[in-house]
Amino acid sequence: MHENRKRRYIAVLFLLGICTLIFFILNICIGSVGIALSDVVGVFIGRERGETVTRILWNIRLPRAISVLILGGALSLAGYLLQTFFNNPIAGPFVLGISSGAKMAVALVMVFLMGKSIRVTSAVMIIAAFIGAMLSMGFVLMMSRKVNSMAMLVVSGVMIGYICSAITELVVTFADDADIVNLHNWSRGSFSGMTWENVKVMTVMVYIIFIAVFLMSKPLSAYQLGDAYALNLGVNLWLLRVCIVIFSSILSACIVAFAGPISFVGIAAPHLVKRFMNTTEPIWMIPACFLGGSAFCLFCDLIAKTILAPTELSISTVTAIFGAPVVLCIIKKRTKT
Amino acid sequence: MKSYYFYTNKMCVGYDNKPLIKDIEVALPKGEILSLIGPNGAGKSTVLKSIARQLRLLGGTVYLGENVLTEMKADTLAKKMSVVFTERVKVELKSCRDMVATGRYPYTGWFGVLSKEDERIVDEVMELTHITDIAEKDFDKISDGQKQRVMLARAICQEPEIVILDEPTSYLDIKYKLEFLSLLNEMREKRGLTVIMSLHELELAKIVSDKILCLKGEYVERYGTPEEIFESDFIERFFDIDINGFSKNEKLLSYIKQIGKYER
Repeated sequence: MHENRKRRYIAVLFLLGICTLIFFILNICIGSVGIALSDVVGVFIGRERGETVTRILWNIRLPRAISVLILGGALSLAGYLLQTFFNNPIAGPFVLGISSGAKMAVALVMVFLMGKSIRVTSAVMIIAAFIGAMLSMGFVLMMSRKVNSMAMLVVSGVMIGYICSAITELVVTFADDADIVNLHNWSRGSFSGMTWENVKVMTVMVYIIFIAVFLMSKPLSAYQLGDAYALNLGVNLWLLRVCIVIFSSILSACIVAFAGPISFVGIAAPHLVKRFMNTTEPIWMIPACFLGGSAFCLFCDLIAKTILAPTELSISTVTAIFGAPVVLCIIKKRTKT
Repeated sequence: MKSYYFYTNKMCVGYDNKPLIKDIEVALPKGEILSLIGPNGAGKSTVLKSIARQLRLLGGTVYLGENVLTEMKADTLAKKMSVVFTERVKVELKSCRDMVATGRYPYTGWFGVLSKEDERIVDEVMELTHITDIAEKDFDKISDGQKQRVMLARAICQEPEIVILDEPTSYLDIKYKLEFLSLLNEMREKRGLTVIMSLHELELAKIVSDKILCLKGEYVERYGTPEEIFESDFIERFFDIDINGFSKNEKLLSYIKQIGKYER
């Protein structure tokens, strides 16, 4: 029985890996200019395939696909952490207003610095996003002490999100014309225009947090039993909570700083993965969630790029179309039992 | 004093710095069973949670073996004390066996992977508590009584020296109540398990306990062996049962008298 289950986990992980790989390759090949797989391979092994193709691959497609892979996984992982933290299957960085908080902070910093013609670096963006995320998180935590129902907590989160979005809109309205174009694209969520510098920073950040979260899988597992039993099993609840809050905020901040707020991935991906795996055991769910989020986002970005080409849809539009029904399913299932 | 395994000195418990019960003094040698009885809201759970370090002690000291309870490290205590509380446990996609296995947490390595030995203990405990037949069922989908038995198995799986149980029999039918009590007896005899629990059923408290702590009001109402507690009309007074109210019902009246009496 146990061996069977372990085999299932490994099989699902393997399948998720394959899906991620396939969508990754499709994302590189498909775009406003189609590139044959043989050309892609050619460029990688150093054969000359024409300057345009090489440049599209190296400067546009590859950094974009890698960032979707990393940020999608990060988003899903952040969602899983928050769901575990609040013991609430519809918690996630977007619905709890954490993404919006980060967005607000980044918009404020961008407008302020651009107004003084200072270049905004990745590090500055991430720090601003992290501060914004922590602010929202602080509010959500405050609310969670007062309200007991998971529905009310989510509603509070959505409200916090609206407040932050309103402030962001206000800032954008008063910004200079040149800034607006930049801000507007980003504040709706998009993976376009990723540079290698962005990719480097996000890879390092997300990699470190992923490892840290993975190392926490044992206390997280005990935490799922509830505070009383976790405490009895010797878990340092306070430390664990602080870690979850900080790590999920850093992950959310990374996503917002680079791609803007992206809806529903944080809820939909972990939920689907959990169904496939048929477990909530963190040691398996953490890597599976990451891969699931990557595959989900790569798939959505592919659609965002292609369905109305050459116009590009915002990534949140696509993730909402595929993610929101999943959330509705969760709610339906919950109210039945 | 040395021969006691668990003892308290002027223990004071309560919520939010407001003392509920003061000056609790109990002392148990290894392998004894202490039952807490009292009316609803008397603070039985509060006492148990304070002993399990879920609530901060508001005063006094609790000793566990050679150690002061509040000074023990969390992972050391986890190997000595396990708990079963009344609050519902909400988990997802966990089998009953998974739940029992969580008791091995303090003994596993960094990633919490069970060793062969851990697996063997889990199976053994499930055998002992007669839940092997529901091992692969989803914990979320079994009855409250079954859940209670699984959580008890989980607590035993932790291989504690002392176990804290909050109304462990509340959802059990008579068969499992009896089974539970014989299990407790077996555990204390074989492993010297010390038990502190709250019980609603006075008849059961009377049979299994070595010591009984009666809680009502700000101070401990009474503390002693079952012989000392169940005498004359103490139980009636303790629970505010007005005998005259039942004077027309002979059967109820004799039932009340019978609970209050201690028979050898």
